[in-house]
Amino acid sequence: MAEGGVLMGDSADGGTGLVVVGAVPAELVAVVERHGQVVAAGDNAATLADMRSDRIGQLIGSTRLPGSLVSSSLFRLEAQPDGLVAAWIRYTAADGSTTVLRSRWIRLDEGWRVTQVRNVPEIPPVMPAAGPQDSGLDDPHWEGLRAGELRIQRCARCAHWIWAPRPVCPRCHSFDLEWPVVEAAGTIYSWTRTWQPFAPELSGHVPFTVVLAELPAAGQRRLLGVLCDGGDADVRVGQAVKGEIGPPPTDGGWPVLRWRLA
Amino acid sequence: MVSRDRVLRGAAAVAGIGSTPFYKRGTSPHGAMRLVLEAILAACADAGIDAHEVDGFVSYANDLNEGLAVGAALGVREIRWSTMVWGGGGGGVAAAVNAAAVAVATGQAENVIVYRALTEADDGRQSYGKGHFPSLLSAHGILTPVQICALRTQRMLEVGGVPPSALEALVQASYHHAQQNPDAVAYGRPLDHDTYADCRWVSEPLRLFDCSRENDGAAAVLVTTAERARDLRAVPAHVLSGAQGGGPDWSESAENDTAYTSAGFHPALVARLWEGAGIKPGEVDVVQVYENFSGPAVASLIDTGLCPPGEEAGRFMTLPNLVAPKGALPVNTAGGNIAEGFLHGIGLVLEAVRQIRGTSVNQVPGADVSLLLGGPMAPLVSATVFGSAATL
Repeated sequence: MAEGGVLMGDSADGGTGLVVVGAVPAELVAVVERHGQVVAAGDNAATLADMRSDRIGQLIGSTRLPGSLVSSSLFRLEAQPDGLVAAWIRYTAADGSTTVLRSRWIRLDEGWRVTQVRNVPEIPPVMPAAGPQDSGLDDPHWEGLRAGELRIQRCARCAHWIWAPRPVCPRCHSFDLEWPVVEAAGTIYSWTRTWQPFAPELSGHVPFTVVLAELPAAGQRRLLGVLCDGGDADVRVGQAVKGEIGPPPTDGGWPVLRWRLA
Repeated sequence: MVSRDRVLRGAAAVAGIGSTPFYKRGTSPHGAMRLVLEAILAACADAGIDAHEVDGFVSYANDLNEGLAVGAALGVREIRWSTMVWGGGGGGVAAAVNAAAVAVATGQAENVIVYRALTEADDGRQSYGKGHFPSLLSAHGILTPVQICALRTQRMLEVGGVPPSALEALVQASYHHAQQNPDAVAYGRPLDHDTYADCRWVSEPLRLFDCSRENDGAAAVLVTTAERARDLRAVPAHVLSGAQGGGPDWSESAENDTAYTSAGFHPALVARLWEGAGIKPGEVDVVQVYENFSGPAVASLIDTGLCPPGEEAGRFMTLPNLVAPKGALPVNTAGGNIAEGFLHGIGLVLEAVRQIRGTSVNQVPGADVSLLLGGPMAPLVSATVFGSAATL
């Protein structure tokens, strides 16, 4: 430990396995360790007391943990450029499974508080809504994804690219529409990083970044998708992205297009 | 000869306004229908007409309380006009006023009520977004309007060069005005820069305070002919012009709208709005701009030529410029959706009328032209220009 009560990284704290990176105030170790213990013990009042009071609702909805935790282990503390300190805590459930949460701590007048928290590693949200619309208009798109291909609607008569899918070509009014396979690559047209867990399915997955990518192979049509590992990424309009289509979920759900910085 | 574009000009006026309180969401003591009836009765009392004389009902955003049921509850003598504006959520608010004005201007009806009610008990949470999130959006975790507006705002900032300070100025102006409005949910809760800058992200680049609220409540306005309005109790707010719509490649395109960072007030629509009113944008005295979120509201002011685009927007969008009584362009003088309360924008209509009457708690002295802008970055947008008698 350095003078002034500051742990200096990169150091491991004798025997506990705690890795400290950067200048981390020494007092924080006990605070965060205790936080892990109260979370593991299911002490909701003590858990909430550790959270920044103006965002408790967002914070408690941000993560997903098994119901029956038996222990916690703080294994990494890292001072971050924005003045916050990130803490990685591994929680072990009764069945032996482990879940890691990364909390970020801020020093307020009332003490150290959690100002952000998320599950790590980052996994894109899986939404039950994925799949064709009732109208059937976008069926070929989803069937394409199931086959590992990106298919976008195009007019067979005038070659106009159409997105979102429509029943008729809005340019020449032909009903003869086709679904060619296009290369899933483009550039970021815009993006947003969502922090608010708007639905239960988002818990454990926020923050996540969605990009709107412009596809040269489809007449600059734009497609939405979660940016893999985008929760912390420095995202900019104009960056190149590559599409990824995961395997179909085993429960009969539909695969979705994801983007990754190229 | 009157230009064909100006057949509406001065033909109709708002003669009555009424509102329930803005209840915290989920806390209304009554269901939405009761709130609608309270608001309509208040609007009729304000105008000084018997509610049995109402003969038309207009709403928007799929209000659950159908006009015919409202009319039956009130025991009106006759219903001559019944209109629901299709699509666009709050983008339909001014279109609803325009539809009522068209009805009375063409003799289809005489006393048309425009109304909107929301309660969490009847409408659920986030009722404003229902039906607008097909799986091409929701499969990617895009579930709410704020995320759509965040995507568009991000590009407006990053590529369009509008500084984030423009967004904050709009929010600050709303909170500033709400401090004079005892009916506002943010009354007594001023917002300083540090609190704004330090609040949590909802969906970048939009923070908590960039977002409107959800409230329970209802409000209504009574639209009648200008001729009749002159004989009624209140100072008429004349409809000078109205416009609604979506531009080329606008809406239902899974984020492929051509003018992506626009609020949706495309040039042809804006030209019709000013031409119909017979004014230039510089003659607008005060604006009620729908702010689902701060970014789209700024885009609305840019679309309509009231605020310069790009970096210049930051120099124009400052707190002193945006507040009554002396700002160059006072906006959302009752606090707006952000600080007064959110009933899908109907509160903005009432405040636009108050500015013409001279009864706003943040009155712009001598306001003759009062602009209402509805529903930015929504599938449908709309606008109404109100004018005093002096503008006719």
